[in-house]
Amino acid sequence: VGDSSTPQFRRAVVALSGGRTDRQIVSLASEIAKAGHADLVGVHVVEIDWTLPLDADVAGRDEAAQRVLDIAEATAEASRFKLETVLLQARDVGAAIVDEAIERGSDLLICGLPFRRRFGGEFAVGATIPYILKNAPCAVWVIREAMPEEQA
Amino acid sequence: MIGGRRPISGRKPGDKRIRVERPHTAYFRYSGPGQLTAKAAASAPTTTFGRARVRLKGVLLGRPLANEEEIGERLSKKKALAIFSSDAISSSAYATEEIILAFILAGVAGAAFTLALPVSIAIAGLLAIVAFSYRQVCVAYPTGGGSYSVSKANLGRNFSLIAASALLIDYTLTVAVSTSSAVEQIASAVPSLDPWRVEIGIVAILLITIGNLRGLREAGNIFAIPTYLFLGSAFLMIGVGTYRILFQGDTGPPPTPEVVEAMSHTVESVGILILLRAFASGAVALTGTEAIATGVPAFKPQESRNAATTLMAMAVILAVLFVGITFLASSFHIMPMENPKQTVIAQIARWVYGDTVLFYLFQAFTALLLFLAANTSFAAFPRLGAVLAEDGFIPRQFAFRGDRLAYSTGIILLGTIAALVVIAGGGSTHALIPLYAVGVFIDFTIAQSGMVRHWLRTKTQGWRRRLSINATGAVLTGIIAVVVTSVKFFAGAYLVVILIPTLVAIMLFIHRQYTAQAAELAVRDDLVFDRPHRRQRVVIPVNGINRSVIQAVMFGKSLVSDPAMLQAVFVTTDLDEAEQLRDRWERQLPGVPLVVVESPYRALVGPVVTYLDVLERAWPPDQELPTTIVVLPEYVARHWWDRLLYNQAAKRLKSALVGREHTVIADVPYRRSEHREEAEPPAPSRTGG
Repeated sequence: VGDSSTPQFRRAVVALSGGRTDRQIVSLASEIAKAGHADLVGVHVVEIDWTLPLDADVAGRDEAAQRVLDIAEATAEASRFKLETVLLQARDVGAAIVDEAIERGSDLLICGLPFRRRFGGEFAVGATIPYILKNAPCAVWVIREAMPEEQA
Repeated sequence: MIGGRRPISGRKPGDKRIRVERPHTAYFRYSGPGQLTAKAAASAPTTTFGRARVRLKGVLLGRPLANEEEIGERLSKKKALAIFSSDAISSSAYATEEIILAFILAGVAGAAFTLALPVSIAIAGLLAIVAFSYRQVCVAYPTGGGSYSVSKANLGRNFSLIAASALLIDYTLTVAVSTSSAVEQIASAVPSLDPWRVEIGIVAILLITIGNLRGLREAGNIFAIPTYLFLGSAFLMIGVGTYRILFQGDTGPPPTPEVVEAMSHTVESVGILILLRAFASGAVALTGTEAIATGVPAFKPQESRNAATTLMAMAVILAVLFVGITFLASSFHIMPMENPKQTVIAQIARWVYGDTVLFYLFQAFTALLLFLAANTSFAAFPRLGAVLAEDGFIPRQFAFRGDRLAYSTGIILLGTIAALVVIAGGGSTHALIPLYAVGVFIDFTIAQSGMVRHWLRTKTQGWRRRLSINATGAVLTGIIAVVVTSVKFFAGAYLVVILIPTLVAIMLFIHRQYTAQAAELAVRDDLVFDRPHRRQRVVIPVNGINRSVIQAVMFGKSLVSDPAMLQAVFVTTDLDEAEQLRDRWERQLPGVPLVVVESPYRALVGPVVTYLDVLERAWPPDQELPTTIVVLPEYVARHWWDRLLYNQAAKRLKSALVGREHTVIADVPYRRSEHREEAEPPAPSRTGG
């Protein structure tokens, strides 16, 4: 985090998974973007498996996918900030998010990471965030959800 | 772009992605499974005139507020004290004068200087009882509604409607009386404005109406400061005046001839009836005590507790002001003067502050407070109206909230009637007071009787003490209601006596209508509706063959499965033309029967309606009549000015068919722009109308 007088980013892409962290990261990003007069783009990607053509009419009819973006938009509005939203369908979520961030000239990519343990062992990061961390040319913020008290 | 999906290449060949359009986002938002929330754009007007109207409304009333912004509209205790108490507190500006006037009109003006103070103390005692009673109401009935809620829960529908009617009258008169009194305060300070009293009052009511249409929160901001300015300057006046009386022996301004004559009368000549009249006149000081109990939901959480605290604070402030002002008026031997108009409080202020800027400031604050007291009613009247509308006693539009979350219908109605009352009263406070007090005390009596019943029913902790407070209040306010009504009957109280039962009858009538309608529309909960039980028949009145008619016929065909239930009807005065049409019809629209109705008297609508009647009569009597769908081809005009040229016959037919049993009217609009690119121009044909 740099000097408070300079904007921390000009344009950021917020990757929205539809999980618990969406509201938190949109709210946080909106507050920061508002202060720095920056742009914010919320991106949600619907993964299309190989049984369907990539341009199949899936995301447009998926109410849950629309809701992810609409709730993010409403969360930003609660902070009196206008969030642009983009709905994508792709074979690979991470690649779609990184490519969208590049195309939009973003200097920051923000992801949320819900805290969860799989199979009672390792803390699960999944595949998307490591891909973003490895391939995104811009800065990346990963905001992890707090641990539940019993696991802290 | 295919169906709103745009392919975009990625950095690697396999990373292609599809950007999906979201056409709903400008107007709607998914807020839950299967649930959409409309955005402001969804209700934005699309015409130039509509946009101009909305812009003007925005300038006057502010931007529309969403439902979720309502929490910001709740009032803090300080703000609520200013809004809901301005009525009660401002009545101290004219209550003392009404006591003195009661003695003057009884011919014992001198008694005012000795008996006005004890009368005001007795009224303050009554205020304490009423305030304690309404404190219980705030706690027991947090949903608001005041006397109406109390009596509805404890005394039944008829008593609650009497209370509601009395309240509605009370709130309307509050606006009229406060405004008239405010204008009198202005005239006391600036006598040259006296001829414009009515006009000033109407402008003030208009401004307060607009302020309230903008929403409660902004009304609070506008009105809170003047209320506290009045309180500060009034307490300063009482403090300075009391000091001069007690420690400097000040006996007031040089006595006028009226005062000298009044002082020659002795107290012994005053009978109990005169005292009761004075008490009843001064009891207008209690008006507005109800407002806080009615407006409990407008308070910030915890609503009941905050409302109860505010109510008690208001009662203490009002009692001190009222008794204090009466003490000064008695000690300074002040009587109201008519020509030029000099109110009692204005004379006191002029004597205490002198003819200085402080006097003019005090008069300005008093006038402002009185104008703003009208705002108490603008907060309470629409809320009560909404409660009554939800209960089905007044039209439902009183429960709908406008763009600014205010009950616009109630606000506009209140402003209009109050302005008319000010005009009728000629801007005089004293002329309206007899109407005012009757409703107020009927309302108090019903509310406190309801609370007595409440304690008898619930018997919660301390119920005996509470019951005794409410019972005492009920008896006292009941007596005063009887006294006020009888002594002021011919001065105007009879109007209220007529108006209350009239309003009750109207409300009962409306309720009966709504109840009957609900019973008529009710559907049994255990039924499942999987298919229509009535068959459908389609009748298409046509004027020839053209694109509009073809579109209507195609639509009609889609509505029926049995081709025998579809037919077109052509009404004509020229059989040759009809034969030509039939030839073409059978060639171009095979399978759609065309019925030609010759109309030698040149009527169009009558033969069509009668033809439908005949069709029904011809239906087998052992079968349920089908639903007749009358499909009307309609050419959509492109400009407002060419609407007159088209569809006149269809409009007349529609008017004739509206409300017809088993009949549905379906307009099938034909828009020229949608079909302009079609290759073949339509065949020439007659157009309707």
